Amino acid sequence: MNEPSLADRTFHIIMRRMVETGQAPHFTEIAADLGVSMEEGRQALHALIGIGLGGWLYPGTDLIVSMAPFHNLPNQYRITIDGQQKWFAQCAFESPAVCWLFPGKTIHLEAPCLDCGEPIRVDFKDGEVLNSDPDGLIGHVSVPLRKWQENVTFT
Amino acid sequence: MHFFRSEEHLRNWAGFDAEKEGGIISLSDLVKLTSIDHFRKRLEPDYISRYLGVGEVMKRLQQIGKTDPYWLP
Repeated sequence: MNEPSLADRTFHIIMRRMVETGQAPHFTEIAADLGVSMEEGRQALHALIGIGLGGWLYPGTDLIVSMAPFHNLPNQYRITIDGQQKWFAQCAFESPAVCWLFPGKTIHLEAPCLDCGEPIRVDFKDGEVLNSDPDGLIGHVSVPLRKWQENVTFT
Repeated sequence: MHFFRSEEHLRNWAGFDAEKEGGIISLSDLVKLTSIDHFRKRLEPDYISRYLGVGEVMKRLQQIGKTDPYWLP
């Protein structure tokens, strides 16, 4: 393993917290975990976002909105684990990836179909689909891959 | 990306644009795509340094047949 960089350590703190609680930490908590000043923690968060990974802050703030595979604002991609619904997937694309953060657990995803509002339900476990309702559900990304980084929030 | 109950539901959706039908992906292909280390290793302490690159993503897209321009960088 490489010696973790500051970006590695910052990401790890965020990911661990989101797995444990379903919520992203504030930069002051990131700073405390990193063992640096509050301002250095804030800068570490912004530097991480600046890398161009699948995560972003609310515009003009230091507040994490999303960090793949999770979303820190409630959305329609609700994740339930062990009977607790406290996580949200960033989007449909990232929802199967949530299972890798909870090895051995069944990840229940429930989201409405944007056309009819009827529920879509999928159970994932360790990279497998255990159940899907309906069987023929599909994913659709309305932005070509070459343009994903132009507006990652919309994508 | 969003889920739809079927391709018919996608085409009925008010936001559907026929020019973007290349963005359809089956659940099984999506699971294959998100089974690479880029998605699996997010709890590794050196994830950003080791696994964030998109080369593996592009390789897996090719493996599942997503080779049209819609899925190219």
